[in-house]
Amino acid sequence: MKIYVCIKQVPDVNAPLQIKDGELIQDADRNILNAYDASAVEESLVLKEAHGGEIEVVLIGPEKAKETIRKALAMGADKATHILIDNDTAPDSYSFASTLSAFFKDKEYEYIFCGKQAQDTDAGLTGSMLAEFLNLPYTTNAVGLNLEGNVLTVKRQGDGGQEIIELPSPALVTCSNDMNEPRIPNLKGIMQSKRKPVETLSLADLGVEISEDQIKTRILSFEEKPARKPGKKYEGEPDEIAREIAQLLDTKENVI
Amino acid sequence: MDEKFDCIIVGAGVAGLAAAMTLARNNMKFLLIEKGEFPGSKNVSGGVLWGSDLAKLVPNYWEEDAGWDRFINHRRLTFMDDKSTFSVDFKSSHFNETPYTGVVVLRSKFDRWLADKVQEAIEESDFAMDSFIAPNILVEEVLLENGKAVGIRTGDEKFFADSVIIAEGVNNLLTRQVGLQDDYVPADHILTGIKEVIRFDQDVLENRFQLRGKSGMSNEFVGFATDGVEGGGFLYTNKDSVSIGLVLGLKDLREKGKEPYEILNTFKKHPAIADMIHGGKVVEYSAHVVSSGDKRIMPKKLYKDGLLICGEAANLLMNAGKAIQGMDYAMRSGIIAAETIVKAKKAENYGEEKMKQYQNTLDDSYVMKDINNFQDAVHLLHDPVMTQKMPNLICDFGRNFFSIKNEPTQKARTMFGESVKKHSSYLELMKLGWKGSRAL
Amino acid sequence: MSTLLTYISVTNGNIKRSSLEVLSRCNELAAEHGFQSAALIISDQTSEAAEKLKLHGPDAIYTMEDPIFKNHINAPLLKALSASIEQINPQLVAFASTESSKDILGALAANQNAPALADVSEFELTDNGVKAKRPVMASKIISAVEAKGSPVLLTVRSGSYDVAESSSDASVETISFSFDEADLKATLKEIIGATGDKIDLSEAQTVIAAGRGVKDDEGLKMIDDLASVLSAGVGASRALTESGVYDPSLQIGQTGKVVSPQLYIGIGISGAIQHVAGMINSKVIVAINKDPDAPIFDIADYGIVGDLYKVLPPFIDELKKMKSEK
Ligand SMILES: Cc1cc2nc3c(=O)[nH]c(=O)nc-3n(C[C@H](O)[C@H](O)[C@H](O)COP(=O)(O)OP(=O)(O)OC[C@H]3O[C@@H](n4cnc5c(N)ncnc54)[C@H](O)[C@@H]3O)c2cc1C
Ligand SMILES: Cc1cc2nc3c(=O)[nH]c(=O)nc-3n(C[C@H](O)[C@H](O)[C@H](O)COP(=O)(O)OP(=O)(O)OC[C@H]3O[C@@H](n4cnc5c(N)ncnc54)[C@H](O)[C@@H]3O)c2cc1C
Ligand SMILES: Nc1ncnc2c1ncn2[C@@H]1O[C@H](COP(=O)(O)O)[C@@H](O)[C@H]1O
Repeated sequence: MKIYVCIKQVPDVNAPLQIKDGELIQDADRNILNAYDASAVEESLVLKEAHGGEIEVVLIGPEKAKETIRKALAMGADKATHILIDNDTAPDSYSFASTLSAFFKDKEYEYIFCGKQAQDTDAGLTGSMLAEFLNLPYTTNAVGLNLEGNVLTVKRQGDGGQEIIELPSPALVTCSNDMNEPRIPNLKGIMQSKRKPVETLSLADLGVEISEDQIKTRILSFEEKPARKPGKKYEGEPDEIAREIAQLLDTKENVI
Repeated sequence: MDEKFDCIIVGAGVAGLAAAMTLARNNMKFLLIEKGEFPGSKNVSGGVLWGSDLAKLVPNYWEEDAGWDRFINHRRLTFMDDKSTFSVDFKSSHFNETPYTGVVVLRSKFDRWLADKVQEAIEESDFAMDSFIAPNILVEEVLLENGKAVGIRTGDEKFFADSVIIAEGVNNLLTRQVGLQDDYVPADHILTGIKEVIRFDQDVLENRFQLRGKSGMSNEFVGFATDGVEGGGFLYTNKDSVSIGLVLGLKDLREKGKEPYEILNTFKKHPAIADMIHGGKVVEYSAHVVSSGDKRIMPKKLYKDGLLICGEAANLLMNAGKAIQGMDYAMRSGIIAAETIVKAKKAENYGEEKMKQYQNTLDDSYVMKDINNFQDAVHLLHDPVMTQKMPNLICDFGRNFFSIKNEPTQKARTMFGESVKKHSSYLELMKLGWKGSRAL
Repeated sequence: MSTLLTYISVTNGNIKRSSLEVLSRCNELAAEHGFQSAALIISDQTSEAAEKLKLHGPDAIYTMEDPIFKNHINAPLLKALSASIEQINPQLVAFASTESSKDILGALAANQNAPALADVSEFELTDNGVKAKRPVMASKIISAVEAKGSPVLLTVRSGSYDVAESSSDASVETISFSFDEADLKATLKEIIGATGDKIDLSEAQTVIAAGRGVKDDEGLKMIDDLASVLSAGVGASRALTESGVYDPSLQIGQTGKVVSPQLYIGIGISGAIQHVAGMINSKVIVAINKDPDAPIFDIADYGIVGDLYKVLPPFIDELKKMKSEK
């Protein structure tokens, strides 16, 4: 069985950041493996452990994204493809998905896993776009997987409840971090990751171009969130505070 | 791949990274293990890396705009009472020359950057595929065989090496595990450091502190800064923020029943400090234990068969009033430790005698010379006369000296005499002066 | 004439309020630009909803009815939407942001070769597309974005716009649809844990959220009591959905739902940014936490520092009293 996992390097949302003249500045240049993709990698490893096969991660990103590829390899993926773009390119989900589809065009696989969204953009588009480009059945927002024979049963978090969906292969699934707790690479994993094969491809190798008119959506600028008016902390006798606040919510805020 | 390493370094702080860089440059096969998510993620420092050893590790680092924030060309020591400050201020273009005598760093940024440099050095070495920096891994045990360090254990994984360098920082559990430090360290030898990073527009910062290009200022504080608790305060200018914080005696804190955070808040509200930080936004808060620099808590022996301890794990630190020095000591001791391992490998002998050379070299270096020579200064800083009465006296004198009142002005000497009487006595001052002149 | 098309989510014949919010915004934009605002209902039963829609002023209503739309299944919905777009030829297709619309947004964009913006909090038209605001980085900051092309597809966060009422005499046009179930490659087997008639969190005016601080049945009972006094929807932090205490569909945050009630009360929740991402737009935020340094206090209008087990009983009592006096 062959599973491809699409992974993205994203800035750590926990790192301090600031906005200057509409641009986003990440203080420490801290980048990580997208948490949702880490869950996708984890899930692929669990499937491999139970059913055998090969896990390959695919990442589109600049040179420094190599460390994120290493992370996935250290977790246990077998090999990787790094589709190299330069730092200044700011592709949107559409260009990522069409680039990935060019990569997958002549590949054989049972499943492609993606994250349900990238932690930085929170877009959640690439997975289903890619499925459509490749004409694959797909399920997004998976919170559980089970493979029996060649039927993949996906538990998907829907609006009302959890939808249990059966997928044939090949198919594409986007994974939520509610699916599992991604393993932290152990030392052996980290050491082995260095020797695992990483193939580097350029956009030209894939015959794609991320040109101006292909980028359909773009970020114009970043803004601070409108600040909330500073609130008040109440400490002391629980009875009194509870009453006081109940009153305020009613008379002052009018929300009771 | 499963064969053993020349060396395993525990901890990718300044000491561990310095050791790793030295090993990589000397073509050694090593493993550097860090428990934090990435090097620097767990590290807290006020922020001035003193001295020029950084240039040894990363030659011409000043040509890069990454990793470090500013060089120090302006130093200030400030005495404060509740309303006033009296400063000794020194600025010199001497300090503009490279290699700088001190650079301000933010550890989460600096450590990561230095780790990238180590990685580059690994890639240029013969062991590009066999030396590793491994983050997010906690070393739980140093493996000993007949008293000799042979490797480490993390979870149920064991890794083996001819030597181990412990660079785990002040919370030195492994140093205790291998029996080089007592389990019990008295509280009066431990300080706690707290720090905030307050951000400004870079222009505002540069105008406010008269900074140009990458120049920066360091300011130490004695007196009211610590609100009666032994210790001191600091303020350093980063690229577009200041680091402001306090180092406080743990025992004194406890006895006085005060919270570090409250003291920091009081400090920040002092008129002189408030003027410096108004309009800024707190973006980071952190607290960390720091050694006092008191030699009595240093492990007597910093080595064992196949094992060396460096950096703050060995309590190499000095806080003698004019600066906190811990990172430069960590760096130098890391370099010396690694050099000792390189020699041991050549001699194919990692025995105690070989390892002892580390301590000897360290003793001959400025690190131990300074620590030995300035012990009295360290103690002086914990003397209440120094931390409370002196600053009050000086500020009182300053207030009189600089006041113009449309009435007959006293001679400075008279003013000083009155301030002394108010806050102390000549006898006490003489004692302090005598201690001070010997200490510094 | 250009058309702005709003997709109307309907469950069991009921229109989702967030769809009406989006429709109201499209009506407003259409009026401004002299365009037509149209609404599209794709469901197993559409007539009732179409009638109700007339109270919210679209210029035209399109419906597509088929039993297959009873539950969300992406392939037929995708086919239906593509067909509608081809027939109506809108310049904009706007959805309320739901798990269902997010499931197909990307695929529809790929299918239509169209730009897509997910989870916007504001949008307006430009000469050749749309400008919008999107919270990013776990809603720490806002990005101003631009999409060029036609139709622009977008999903809108609930609570971004108010629902306006304005009756219209729009005609209802039915678009024919057929789907052969045999073409389905992915099959929906069952839906579990359906929250049925409980209050829909993303539409609730009051939301109570429970976190790890709520440790036992006694605590859960207090949450329920509070919710029933306030007729509130109950949600949870990941700590409690992950451990199975609450249904995963009740998770509020970056992974879970976005809520924007008049009143949010977080109980025993620390305020991790991923949670805050889902509730920061609440009008009034109340937090109960025993740790005075908990980050949730940075955003709470009313921060109660204290043990929830001590604070909740008098709080509930007082609210009960107030309610009974009303
Ligand atoms: C508030 C404050 C202000 C300071 N200001 C200054 C200053 O201005 N100038 C200055 O020179 N010094 C300053 N210091 C002191 C300085 O920070 C330390 O002396 C210096 O960091 C010591 O370096 P180190 O490499 O020995 O230890 P650390 O920097 O503490 O690094 C130790 C590393 O080891 C890791 N580690 C520990 N145990 C394990 C384990 N078991 N397994 C794996 N990894 C492990 C830790 O995560 C850490 O990254 C300050 C300290 C404080 C607290
Ligand atoms: C990619 C990603 C996505 C995520 N998405 C989400 C998401 O959508 N939603 C979400 O919620 N989380 C999400 N998380 C997880 C998030 O980071 C936090 O771990 C989680 O929100 C913590 O839940 P908590 O506040 O209930 O628990 P904790 O952080 O453990 O906080 C519990 C709080 O309860 C307080 N407390 C304890 N006892 C009492 C008492 N008796 N009285 C009063 N207070 C008490 C404590 O002081 C503490 O502050 C995500 C994480 C990642 C990495
Ligand atoms: N640059 C990329 N390289 C590989 N996969 C990506 C990339 N960008 C997005 N993806 C995949 O698409 C998912 C959703 O991304 P997004 O549409 O940006 O929210 C991610 O979780 C990844 O699985």
